[in-house]
Amino acid sequence: MSDPIRVLVVDDHPVWRDGVKNDLRAAGIAEVVGEASDGGEAIQRALEDMPDVVLMDLQLPTVSGVEATRRIVEEAPHVKVLVLSASAEEADVLEAVKAGASGYLLKSSTSDEVANAVRRVHEGDAVFTPSLAGLVLDEFRRVARREEGEPELTQRENEVLKLVAKGYTYKDIADRLFITPKTVQNHVHNILAKLQLQKRYELMRYAIQKGLDRAP
Amino acid sequence: MTGAERLRVTLARGVLLFRWAMVAFMAVIAVTSEGFRRPVLAWLTLALAAAWTAVLTLRAPRWNTAWLASDTVVCAWLLLAAGIVVPEGSVIAGRPFFSQGYPVAAALMWGIARGPIPALVAGALLSIALVATRPLNGVPLGGLEARFVTSLASGVLNYLVAPAVVGLVARLLADSSRAVEEANRALITERERAARLAEREKLARQIHDSVLQALALIHKRGRDLATSGNVGAGDVLALADLAGAQERDLRGLISRPPEDPPAGRASLRSSLEETARDFDDLDVTVSSVGPIWLDRACVEELTAAVRQALDNVRRHSGAARASVFADEDDDRITITVRDDGRGFVYDEQRLSALGKAGLLKSMKGRVEDLGGRMTVTASPGRGTEIEFELDASRHRSQES
Repeated sequence: MSDPIRVLVVDDHPVWRDGVKNDLRAAGIAEVVGEASDGGEAIQRALEDMPDVVLMDLQLPTVSGVEATRRIVEEAPHVKVLVLSASAEEADVLEAVKAGASGYLLKSSTSDEVANAVRRVHEGDAVFTPSLAGLVLDEFRRVARREEGEPELTQRENEVLKLVAKGYTYKDIADRLFITPKTVQNHVHNILAKLQLQKRYELMRYAIQKGLDRAP
Repeated sequence: MTGAERLRVTLARGVLLFRWAMVAFMAVIAVTSEGFRRPVLAWLTLALAAAWTAVLTLRAPRWNTAWLASDTVVCAWLLLAAGIVVPEGSVIAGRPFFSQGYPVAAALMWGIARGPIPALVAGALLSIALVATRPLNGVPLGGLEARFVTSLASGVLNYLVAPAVVGLVARLLADSSRAVEEANRALITERERAARLAEREKLARQIHDSVLQALALIHKRGRDLATSGNVGAGDVLALADLAGAQERDLRGLISRPPEDPPAGRASLRSSLEETARDFDDLDVTVSSVGPIWLDRACVEELTAAVRQALDNVRRHSGAARASVFADEDDDRITITVRDDGRGFVYDEQRLSALGKAGLLKSMKGRVEDLGGRMTVTASPGRGTEIEFELDASRHRSQES
């Protein structure tokens, strides 16, 4: 049996952290190597312990989950962040994915789903819920209307995203599009990468605007 | 434009009309007069009055001091010219006054723009010019007969009273219009505040009614179960379901800031999410590309069709999960209701013959009435996908 996946659990509720710890232990695939109750602590622990996967809540004291995700992914790109949030705060979820999170699950997901998602994220998959796929599609359409030259989705990526939004699994999607599940995975990865690139465009545009404002 | 500004513009238009009438009168007098002392100056003055009025007509009303002062100078000149151009002594001979009532327009404009006091000042300046027309016309003021003094005084009074009254009325109307606007604004703010409070109270009530009660029940049942020492899996499951249902409701309340719908429209996403929460025994995920605003009636019909589709899933598919995806691309709305249940052979004629097509036909009818169409993709063992498609532009009535 392969080594257990090393997980850092970030949540401000101790009861929740205990629950997740028990679930992961019961599933027998992962081991909780650390806990953090706020964003600042999460960044510190992640960079010290270098876990494989960080289970991140978004509503955190001090530093937000989105910001902690950004910092962790920036400084330790091999650490995967899986967002596990109670409220489907759309804007936050989208920001977290743009900041580099590899996936998103609602806290109402079953223990099996969480364990499965941890395993898949660790293997390099992106874990998408249908509702997140809808959000991402909306985001890309908005960008396409706003600016030329920014990363856009290809026809195939669009198709894949729509199927995810319709609730199909990657395997179903592969069957329908006559491609391999691995290729579906690649498409989803590219979609995420483009989303993160968009964020960089946004920051760049903002910086340029500011710079031009200052120019005499 | 505020109500007060609109009022001023309307009054200024009235004055402009008055100016043109007076210019026409001047022209009539110029043509019919039996000879000017200074014909060239008379025609030039008439041309000046017409040109100035034309300028004022072509430009939007100007309220700044430079324009008002220029106007006053032009009008004063019209008065003085009236004394200069006609034969000596004719200003008191009972013949029509050359510049007619035109000059009073300048004082009226001061009244409209600045109120009664500036109007009085302008009227006084014009009155001096009016008095000056007598000596300019070779009529010494000293030897004026009483009836001519009375006539001059009534002219002066006209120049003072009319502009002052117009100024006063304009100010009163502007003040009251401003007061009405302020009251309106206050009313709107108050109404918005009340609406927000009502919304918050509604939320608080909903949370109180369902979440708090559920929490109390979970608390009590949990303790009872723990002390009874004989806990069945079914009991725990019931508690978990209770908490789960409340969690879904609460998430529905807080997941998104309240949306501000365009008039007469509703969000298809919100409506579908609400419907999905009504299905306790079926796990329904809703995904949507944006809020998708459509006419309220259309949203209601589409939601009803989706509800029927979900009912169908619950009754016949054996699936535990279903997903609804609403997309809007280039004004085409597509709604997909999908399950991974046992599926079936979709053959409308055969289903009709068996009397099993009722629900499907009803859904289809709803969507076709909206000008759309329904497609069913199903095969045994591979789940079912029902797709509604329609043109969004037909279901977005023009905003007023």
